[in-house]
Amino acid sequence: MLDGHDRVTGRIPYVLNFEVPGMLVGRILRSPFAHARITAVDGSRAEQLPGVSTVLTRADFAPQTPIKGVYGRVFRDQRVVAAEKVRFVGEPVAAVAAVGEERADEALSLIKVEYEELPAVFDEEEALKPGSPLVHDPRPQLDPAFSSLVGNLSDAGNICSHFKLRHGDVERGFAEADFVFDDTFRSPAVQHVPLEPHVTVAHYANGKLTIWTSTQMPHAIRAQMASLFNLPLTRVRVITQTLGGGFGSKGSLRLEPITSFLAWKANRPVKITLRREEEFVTVCKHPATIHLKTGVMKDGILVARQVRALFNTGAYTDIGPIVARNAGSAMSGPYRTPHVRIDSYAVWTNVVPAGALRGFGVPQAVWAYESQMDMIAERLGLDPVEFRRKNIVRDGDHYATGEKLEGVHYEELLRRAAASVNWAPEEAYWRKKSFAGSMSASQKKVHRGKAVTLVIKATITPSTSTAVLKLNADGSLNVLTSSVEIGQGAKTVLAQIASDAAQIPLEKVLVSEPDTDLTPYDQQTSSSRTTFSMGSAVVLAAKDLTRKLMDLAGEFMEVSADDLTLREGKVEVRGVPERSLGYADILRRACRGDLIGEGAFTTQGGLDLETGQGIGSVHWHQAAAACEVEVDTETGKVMVLRFHPSVFAGRVVNPRLCELQTEGSTFFGLGQALFEEMMYDDNGQVVNRTLGDYMIPSFEDGPLELRVTLLEHEGAGEIHGIGETSLPPVMPAIANAIYNAVGVRIKDLPITPEKILRGLKEKNIAEVQHF
Amino acid sequence: MRQIVKLKVNGLEKEVAVEVYQTLLEVIREEFKLFGAREGCGIGMCGACTVLADGKPISSCLMLASLAEGKDLVTIEGLADGGTLHPIQQAFIDENAFQCSYCTPGFILTTKTLLEENPAPSAEEVRAYLAGNLCRCGSYVKIQQAVLNAAARLRGAAVR
Repeated sequence: MLDGHDRVTGRIPYVLNFEVPGMLVGRILRSPFAHARITAVDGSRAEQLPGVSTVLTRADFAPQTPIKGVYGRVFRDQRVVAAEKVRFVGEPVAAVAAVGEERADEALSLIKVEYEELPAVFDEEEALKPGSPLVHDPRPQLDPAFSSLVGNLSDAGNICSHFKLRHGDVERGFAEADFVFDDTFRSPAVQHVPLEPHVTVAHYANGKLTIWTSTQMPHAIRAQMASLFNLPLTRVRVITQTLGGGFGSKGSLRLEPITSFLAWKANRPVKITLRREEEFVTVCKHPATIHLKTGVMKDGILVARQVRALFNTGAYTDIGPIVARNAGSAMSGPYRTPHVRIDSYAVWTNVVPAGALRGFGVPQAVWAYESQMDMIAERLGLDPVEFRRKNIVRDGDHYATGEKLEGVHYEELLRRAAASVNWAPEEAYWRKKSFAGSMSASQKKVHRGKAVTLVIKATITPSTSTAVLKLNADGSLNVLTSSVEIGQGAKTVLAQIASDAAQIPLEKVLVSEPDTDLTPYDQQTSSSRTTFSMGSAVVLAAKDLTRKLMDLAGEFMEVSADDLTLREGKVEVRGVPERSLGYADILRRACRGDLIGEGAFTTQGGLDLETGQGIGSVHWHQAAAACEVEVDTETGKVMVLRFHPSVFAGRVVNPRLCELQTEGSTFFGLGQALFEEMMYDDNGQVVNRTLGDYMIPSFEDGPLELRVTLLEHEGAGEIHGIGETSLPPVMPAIANAIYNAVGVRIKDLPITPEKILRGLKEKNIAEVQHF
Repeated sequence: MRQIVKLKVNGLEKEVAVEVYQTLLEVIREEFKLFGAREGCGIGMCGACTVLADGKPISSCLMLASLAEGKDLVTIEGLADGGTLHPIQQAFIDENAFQCSYCTPGFILTTKTLLEENPAPSAEEVRAYLAGNLCRCGSYVKIQQAVLNAAARLRGAAVR
């Protein structure tokens, strides 16, 4: 990475380090109840404490004030601080700004809140039962821009949104099928745990709100904050620095509203830094229950799939409906399936609001369908790799969304993945020799198993990225973008792309940090889109810039611009390298201090809410995973011996960064496969809110061997983002490998030693009874 | 209650007034304005706040500042020799052994002690020694390679 020196010397200027003179510290008082009516809030004693500047409560957003304090991208269902009700344990109820953290904490303890507890619901299936407590009653106001995402659900109880996909005739498909398999798979809530917590510094002065914040979406934050404060976009400035990780958690509004209103009321800058335990009540991965019904012919050809998927979006909507749609649209997996019927719901409950997490719903979907693929293969007596090969989508196929697929690479990905672990049909558990004599008869304590899985994943479509290139008088180049450097290497890769496209040496290119006053619009840094989308915008901006340079050079050299070409910071006459003008010379002769090029890259598409037909993705992200695990039958402990992701990357800009992202996805998935889970008590409180109780993968949890394969187009093809692609297949790959090792099938994540031991015990009992 | 303590950080001694409950991490960040040590978990589980105290890696979020008096403290900012990076830092750059790099200073400082104690560690020993430093971005493969490269580089330097 170009900023490597700052990274190894500890000098990356995270927002965490940011200070403004006169800054106060903000702290948040949170609800102890999952569902309760607030009968009184009294901040007067806290306000009188010396050193306390401001206490923010629902009284600041009283109905008669012009500031409503209500926000939310899809539904306007969130409040800066709770008003009539709280809907999850941890919901912000009040906030204080004080001279220091200790004083702020003391002030929080002086705020009196009275609650009247209400019945709560935590589970997504329970929430849909008649008579279940209603999380939102009446339904909150829907942003008109998102009506096509939710549909007309006036009397739907806790159903937040309902995405449907209808392709072929699923009833006919099941009637034709030789076998129909019906299974249910569950994924729990998982926290992102970016090591840098959420941090926001806000300052409101002279009618302008300035926010320095750890966000992946500076422009979306600006728009929503402008709406909250009734200000034009020019009066809100959002500045982002390099982030210490995000993984989707730093997407929607988080700390920005509460910090900004504290700063507005205190008339002083305020900083809020979340503590680790607060991260766990801020946002998480959607818990999901997925019912999968799959029809297949006895030769292993898939004919029908029906899905009922419930995504538990928690107490507030955030972007739950988009997650449910994104996952729903690809639940037939990378397989030809003539008849598909999918119903994917976002459901409100009284748990921590779920949001974007690396993979955006697809990990839950792939967990279900890739686990079931191996289960079906066994029941049909087929090699699971061969079963997949028979069914994978190929060039020219029409996907379940109706769109025609091109540039499909599953044959190659599957071949490479299988080869990477020396897959053979005998690796399937039921084909192993030991199977005949049953596990219990075996004297071996430790068993090995392998597996291969696939994924198909959309990137957000439609989408827009804009870039401005500013060529300076000395021939150096500023790249102005709002893409966020989050550790993926955006600044490095965009500099490489700009350097190549504008023919300026890399060391003369500098990529900006996002600043909505200065850097042009970008939709978001997510969905594996930055290298592809912003990279394309940078290329367009470079074309605009170099066309202007060639026009000027053509005038000065008295040749047609068509006869000019670019090389290493110079415009030269094609075929006559000695006739050239350097970029700096062109600017000097044109009496210009700088020269601007701009580029906007947009993709078109979208899916119909009622049928799921349309364009789901500008191109589809494709990957395979292969692994070998070792399972200790005495302790239930799983060791991943080797893991080999194979990812289609289109054209690789920076191989090292591609590998890092893919290796990172593997570790991220390994944690979710084996131990990550937010645990709730009976009152809806997350109980494992520290890194002492919530484990994330360490050096000793990793695969002993991890080797990435990056598959590229022939020639100069389109870039495919790889930030998330290889994550979803990790969990089912490990589950299937565990099955192939010891014959225990786990259908609810994570696959803990306890579950494996229980599975072994049940299996042994079943086998003893059988013989 | 505040007390005056004399702390030696990166070779410089400074008297600072600290609250008795303040951690070394807070004081290093707030009084010394050194931001390379960072809080990740606040309970000594993640290693992002690692500093060296008398050459040994400690979690500065767990040590009270007043108890650090008399110790020779080194943060990541004190590792480079003027403009020249420490060979471990250079190895991390060469292998691109980081993504968001929030954890990187902790890994580098722990590695320094590892290689002083064991100049030629095996890959397994590297993993075991660094298991108390967490990298959520999952850069472990390249971190392991960087540590092995740094070890080779430092052994080479010692031979010369």
